Amino acid sequence: MSIALFVLRRLGRGVFTIWFAVTVTFLLLRLLPGDPALAVASPNMTEETRAALLTQYGLDQPLIIQYFIYLGRLVTGDLGTSFTQSIPVVDVLLQRLPWTLVLTASALVLTVLLGIPLGVLAASRRGKAMDRFVQILGVTGQSLFVPSVGIALLLLFGLWLRWLPIGGAYDDAVYGVAWYGSVLQHLLLPALSLTLIQLGSYVLTVRATLIDALGDDYVTLAKANGLSPRRILWKHALRNALLPATTLIGLQLGFLVGGAVLTETVFAYPGIGRGIYEAVTQLDFPVLQGAFLLLAVTVVVANMLTDIVYGFLDPRVKTA
Amino acid sequence: MRKRYPLLAGVAAIAVLALSACAPEAPPAATSTSTAKAGTDTLNIATTTDVVNYNPLVGNSRSDYWVSNLMYPHLLSMNEDGDRIPEVATDWGYVDETTGFYEIRDDMKWSDGEPLTAEDVAYTLNATKKDKPAGTLYGQLANMDSAEAVSKTRVEMKLSKPDASIVEGIGFWGNIVPQHVFEKAGSVAEFANDGSDGGWVSAGPFVLTKVQVGQSYTMDRVEDYPIVKGGTPIPAKVVYRVYPDVNAEILALQSGAVDAIANALPPAQVEQLKNTAGIKVEESTGLGYAHMTYNMDNPDLAKVEVRQALAHAADYDAIRKVVLQGQAVSTGSSPLMEVHGDYYDKSIKEYDFDVDKSRSLMEKAGYTADANGNFPVSFRLIYSLQDSVTSQWVQLVKDSAAKAGITIELQGTERNTYLAMTNAGDYDIYAGNFAIMEDPVTNMVLSYLPGGAINYTHVDDPELNDLINTASTSADEKERVKLMREAAQIVHEKVYDNIMYSQQLYFAHSDKWTGFVSKPSELLSIVNPVSLASASKTAK
Amino acid sequence: MTAPIPEAALEPIPEPIATGGSRASRATWRAFRKQPLGLLSLAILGILILISIAAPLLAPYPASYGTDVLKPPGGGYPLGTDALGRDLWGEIVWGTQQSVLVAVAASAIAIAFGTLVAVLGAYIPKLDAVIGVVVDLTLSLPVLPLMILVAALVGPSTSTIILVVAAFSWPEVTRIVRSQALAVVKLPYIDAARLMTRNHLWIIGRHVVPAVAPVIVVSVVVTASRAVLSAAGLAFLGLGDPTTWSWGRILYEAQASGAMVSAWWLTLFPSLAILALVLSATLLSIAYNDARNPRNHDR
Repeated sequence: MSIALFVLRRLGRGVFTIWFAVTVTFLLLRLLPGDPALAVASPNMTEETRAALLTQYGLDQPLIIQYFIYLGRLVTGDLGTSFTQSIPVVDVLLQRLPWTLVLTASALVLTVLLGIPLGVLAASRRGKAMDRFVQILGVTGQSLFVPSVGIALLLLFGLWLRWLPIGGAYDDAVYGVAWYGSVLQHLLLPALSLTLIQLGSYVLTVRATLIDALGDDYVTLAKANGLSPRRILWKHALRNALLPATTLIGLQLGFLVGGAVLTETVFAYPGIGRGIYEAVTQLDFPVLQGAFLLLAVTVVVANMLTDIVYGFLDPRVKTA
Repeated sequence: MRKRYPLLAGVAAIAVLALSACAPEAPPAATSTSTAKAGTDTLNIATTTDVVNYNPLVGNSRSDYWVSNLMYPHLLSMNEDGDRIPEVATDWGYVDETTGFYEIRDDMKWSDGEPLTAEDVAYTLNATKKDKPAGTLYGQLANMDSAEAVSKTRVEMKLSKPDASIVEGIGFWGNIVPQHVFEKAGSVAEFANDGSDGGWVSAGPFVLTKVQVGQSYTMDRVEDYPIVKGGTPIPAKVVYRVYPDVNAEILALQSGAVDAIANALPPAQVEQLKNTAGIKVEESTGLGYAHMTYNMDNPDLAKVEVRQALAHAADYDAIRKVVLQGQAVSTGSSPLMEVHGDYYDKSIKEYDFDVDKSRSLMEKAGYTADANGNFPVSFRLIYSLQDSVTSQWVQLVKDSAAKAGITIELQGTERNTYLAMTNAGDYDIYAGNFAIMEDPVTNMVLSYLPGGAINYTHVDDPELNDLINTASTSADEKERVKLMREAAQIVHEKVYDNIMYSQQLYFAHSDKWTGFVSKPSELLSIVNPVSLASASKTAK
Repeated sequence: MTAPIPEAALEPIPEPIATGGSRASRATWRAFRKQPLGLLSLAILGILILISIAAPLLAPYPASYGTDVLKPPGGGYPLGTDALGRDLWGEIVWGTQQSVLVAVAASAIAIAFGTLVAVLGAYIPKLDAVIGVVVDLTLSLPVLPLMILVAALVGPSTSTIILVVAAFSWPEVTRIVRSQALAVVKLPYIDAARLMTRNHLWIIGRHVVPAVAPVIVVSVVVTASRAVLSAAGLAFLGLGDPTTWSWGRILYEAQASGAMVSAWWLTLFPSLAILALVLSATLLSIAYNDARNPRNHDR
């Protein structure tokens, strides 16, 4: 199979996945109970206000017609207009997207930077105390309840030590280099707590694949050739072990973007997870549909990139 | 390593790009010289929610009110005792039974230099009537046909029928919006007013200049605000900062990241913060109440004895003492509260907590308790999980009713589900609260007349209907007081509503700031326009 | 709140498949007994289950209110009281019940359904392609935001939480069990069984399910711990069951009353309980996985 066909097939699957996510969201929103008009209007609105709102939202149409209108607009790139904010959904999402990307990306980078050395450390001391310690550390991280840890961190670094700010993504009235400094300051605690909860699975994956790789023939061969254990570990085994870890990163991206609700809530960070939660409380259908579309696209793109990268790195994948 | 992580590097690159697009550029050096009194300080205020909609005719959340009230003034405001006082209007009342009027100040200007005139007021009312935006104002306009600016400073409203409370109702609830900005948008119900067309225009003390969704709303001083003493607001900027979690919000106040918290403090935190160095707590009168209503469509609850039995099976004292930490007063189980002045009727007493009385009332209604002392009834009580105080007291209500042999099944739901169930009448007992019940007559029209928007009891009592209908058209205040007191008697006796308490609200701010003017209700609190315009840093 | 399952804990280990069942499990147990961490985790899980069963003996059901509000641990209250003066110890004990229930029920449903789908897919190749696509698609959905959406719209209750968590956990189970089951059905002894009988259910029940059982054990534990964290997270956002005591509800009420900082005990103890359950479950699965790997048996 040629590379072009491989990429094409992956693209097709990606589009299919996005369609699935979009449809599930659309149906869930309309088939589960909940009346967006009530969420928008004051409690003492009249029945005619409610009817007018439903017409304005297009929710008075039959389900199937709503669905095709929605899909039709989606194809032309029109995500609709927010029920509660009266502005295009794209704008609603773009207001929060940059900060989500900043938070997610820094958490990913931190995870990799901490995860690889820890995974290597554990694998190279397999069965020893250090191995156990690293495993427990990783697993403890992902067993913590984020809001409790968050409040404790804010109390310690925000109030007692006063090293870090409480809430927000940057300070006002700072410009240039100082502005980037304030972004980093605000980023540190939420990024750390996000890293903490996902580090465990990453470390364990690196460790497990590394242990597998260390048992492989070529490592035995390298050993026989008299290469130093350190060189074998870092150069040869790790290179192969990183492939599955890369896949995990791809999978985690989608999880991270939408899954940071609790982190963003406690640290008052203006990300998209919190935006989704707020849209749920306001029953803002178009924003929710847009947000879920965005998440699906993120996952698909991340997976496709991972697959393609993987495909180039490892020729065996192309025929799979 | 870098070679192995093109994806990671890509993500990081996107993030950095996204970030650099956000990086602000330094503004040109300030050239304007501020007036003597007005300072250069920034007042940071914490809120728990984002602004949802910048259009005051649509917006419904608290942050929406707080931000838009600083830009779009009301005709009337309210003093600490809950009486309506002038804001933009200097005089108001009725020309005849079906014509109301407002006289407004002639010195108000929008921040773009356009004068604020009676035309703006008339436009706001007529456009709201026509386009039916979702906000509170539209509900006040039921009996208004049209409004007209008869001079530069006088507006007159034609009413479809006599309505004694509409002038104050509209005056208090309605924000005035600039005709020259909103008119361009077509329908005021769909206008986002998100500043995308050259920013915002304000006739209040501050104007919104910068928004970072999920983080902060920055408002700059409007130099000319005649309503505040001195004519110019004191803080140079007011910044609303979003803290979705109230615990982080309190930490932010303690650390000095914010100078005040806009939302009312959770009852359990009031004492705590009063005793915290550097923090001051202001009290404000509650202008609303928490209540339970019994759905009379339920055949059991249609019997007055059953409703009375339920009313006597709740320990109101314990609820106020424990759940509200003593920060609430009884209204005597009456919809007329002390803050309503003359309307308040001391002779109406709270239902006493007496389970034996409940039991005998149930027996009188024809029910027999089983061997365990339980009556064969079960009622489903709905409440909103987002309302943390109510969520707590309903547990007490359930437990005390169980002592009287009456089963209450709690059904707490997410706010939207709760609203939908309320709207559909899908409940036996409704528990909730109203933030502002400023006008007794309007309140009773909406609560107890058949078809009323908040008639959650689904009551239709001819005697009560007569009293309320007469009062709502009566121009004579004394007459209205008399009728309302009679109506309240009936509501109390037949348990058409069970008002449990009126909560006093507490607001916290840093002791580095002073001069706040606390007003009733969470909507006005210490973040009302006059309060923020008068706040200043304490001298060191 | 729903961290992805550590892949390493779930990688199917091919070795024990074809070996005689009871001999392998005895060897696994012998290896497991040598792991202090695994035994400790097992003990903690045992204690938590015991607490949930014996709750009525350990503490009276929390009253609706008390007079000592927000008292720190000590005095008559071993863990202090909450904003309504209720005993925190009682809330935690009774909360254990709900948390264990959610963990057990959600994982049971997810496992039952996930395994059924996986085994059917492995056994009936025509179905497998469809199942593979459905699992892939479901796995690509944003789980947490969808859980929030469904819990908010359907209305919070313990059964909603259980169903929601189960509904978004089964594909993960299917994915893991499927790869193991696919390997099993290709083995000669299954072919032999097919020759002997036409009763497919018997073959699946007698041969396929036992062969994938070890993988199921591991995913039970992981799904259960994920369920606890998800339930607590949903409760913290105000979407938990408000009428049943759970660890998430204690945290939510502390959060709503602004007491997370000033009344540290309200935050600390339920968080520790969550940590204990999730951590010991995950460590147990790791220890079990290590133990059933024949490479470790002779050590």
